[in-house]
Amino acid sequence: MKFIRVNMSDKSIHVEDVPQEYAGLGGRGLTSILVNAEVPPQCDPLGPENKLVFAPGFLTGTSLVNTSRVSVGAKSPLTGGIKESNAGGTIGASLGHLGITAIIIEGGASDEDLSLLHINAQGEATLIPAQEYRGMRTYALVEKLLTVYGEKNSVMCIGPAGEYQLASASVQSSDVDGRPCRAAGRGGMGAVMGAKGIKALVIDQRGKNADAIANPQAFKEAAKVVVEAVLADHMSAEVMPNLGTAALVAPVNAMGAFPSYNATKGQLDGWEKISGEAMAEIIKKRGGKTTHRGCDQCMIHCSNEYVDKDGKYITSSLEYETIWATGGMTGITDFDVIARLDFLCDDIGLDTMNTGVAVAVAMDAGYRAFGDAEAAVEMVEEIAKGTGFGRVLGNGPAAVGEHFNHPRVPVVKRQSIAAYDPRGMLGNGITYATSPMGADHTAGNLVGAYLEHKLDPLSPEGQIDTSRFLQIAMAAFDCMGQCFMANVALLHPDGFGAFQKLIEAKTGAQFEDGYFPFGMGTRILKAEKEFNRRAGFSKQDDRLPKFFYEEPLPPHDKVFPISEAELDSVLEF
Amino acid sequence: MKVKVKLYGMLSLHVPDYKPSQGLEVELPDGATVTDLLAHLGILETRGAAVIANGRVLKMDDEVQDGSSLDVFQSIQGG
Repeated sequence: MKFIRVNMSDKSIHVEDVPQEYAGLGGRGLTSILVNAEVPPQCDPLGPENKLVFAPGFLTGTSLVNTSRVSVGAKSPLTGGIKESNAGGTIGASLGHLGITAIIIEGGASDEDLSLLHINAQGEATLIPAQEYRGMRTYALVEKLLTVYGEKNSVMCIGPAGEYQLASASVQSSDVDGRPCRAAGRGGMGAVMGAKGIKALVIDQRGKNADAIANPQAFKEAAKVVVEAVLADHMSAEVMPNLGTAALVAPVNAMGAFPSYNATKGQLDGWEKISGEAMAEIIKKRGGKTTHRGCDQCMIHCSNEYVDKDGKYITSSLEYETIWATGGMTGITDFDVIARLDFLCDDIGLDTMNTGVAVAVAMDAGYRAFGDAEAAVEMVEEIAKGTGFGRVLGNGPAAVGEHFNHPRVPVVKRQSIAAYDPRGMLGNGITYATSPMGADHTAGNLVGAYLEHKLDPLSPEGQIDTSRFLQIAMAAFDCMGQCFMANVALLHPDGFGAFQKLIEAKTGAQFEDGYFPFGMGTRILKAEKEFNRRAGFSKQDDRLPKFFYEEPLPPHDKVFPISEAELDSVLEF
Repeated sequence: MKVKVKLYGMLSLHVPDYKPSQGLEVELPDGATVTDLLAHLGILETRGAAVIANGRVLKMDDEVQDGSSLDVFQSIQGG
């Protein structure tokens, strides 16, 4: 258990024991509480006072499956508030096996500086000049780095978008096949990495210094409950390994909540061409992979490899939110184009969601027509070139809306919504409005509750309480390093208890009943809200854009009906 | 009564002879519910089926309407 602090102003590296206040935390909990404690909330997110924190989950590096997530946290250049974005791949597990609780990048490099941080199998960290990699896209970069440093390394890196410090810049993470196709996409964490002058983290996968487990037998027993729940659930055991998250296209579109043509309709013409079922058929026919292990210690295999007509790799993993942002929102229903846009975003180092929605806002403003696939590819390529318009686009939908003076911009705190329209799924709108992260489906997604008949997506009844509960639960869950696909374990009657037992078994400490998720989740959300308040956010920032309250969404022709007072009550604790 | 049914997710694996391009025409007794439809199709509760008609998720005890088109999905917690 250690922090590695890397100061980019003087290039010093310090290793320290983890302070007591971070005991039992990992992932989002660690990044958010540390950022709230150490980063001046009013600071320039791209300046030396900001800190960029990489933290594997608290259970990452243990024997528990599906735990190779790493959280990336900082003050966001996109939202201006606190941000945590997490990614899969292999680096989470690599950090966990090295016993590294967090890497904290501090200070600021000069514009000419570019470095990579290398950590060897003994856990020794070194800053290495990386000028030769300047401007490189992520696929070529990772291929080169794995040649230089060896295949048994995990890479987390930025592309040109991160070097340009654009607000949609992602941090890309290498998968088990050494491809940078996993992303901490949201909130411009790639821009913060670029501002720190770090092109890549290269972390040896052969560490053998994982945190000790205080009570191995209790850990094993609790882990068994989680594994059995994941194996028994139809989502993780059947749907994800065959269709991946793309399986959501059909049901969300059928519910009339699939934001299409920049959220002017809730159903997409030609949605059948971009459904999960259609994707699987194309991939199978061409000899790609509908089932693929993208992350270390994964037992779900929700990933895929999308290939072209000649069977040649285009991208991995093509997922629901990307298909929606680059397809539904733009009116593009050609899977080959969507796959190409996904690859381009990964390669340039961009959040697929913020970028797809930025393209859609430009189309809605009349810059190009909806459905113009060639224009969409050209626009994304323009971001890599760093042209004036490319930089506007790379700063996300809000920047594009300002550029064209176009008011229909589906963002909260400048971050794009996800693939669930707030007028067709009210609870998701509540989560978008009130999450300290800005519009973020992973902060508390109610789609499962709607499909399982627990709530009516169009009736306000029960939405506030469910969004609140899920936001607390996800804040805690995001500390564990567990993949979202494994969150079905929480649906098991003993699911929450099993995670509390895992924390207790690892730490050897006892927590009060309900610590997981309530004690942990509310502690994290309070820290995040406090940071945002001190950064200048008010309740007025916890609102959806005006058009969601005014423009009815076909086919249900409803607007978002939740009052300001109700929104203010969501995270009031 | 007769209803038209389309299956999504991996449900077609559990219904013999299902052809995605055609869907199914199912004959049910008058007053049949969503539960009755799923039982008729042989779709077990553990598959997490969600039936949607006209943009609305039906409850398990909702009666199925004669001549309706029903889409059957598997519930998913998010993406």
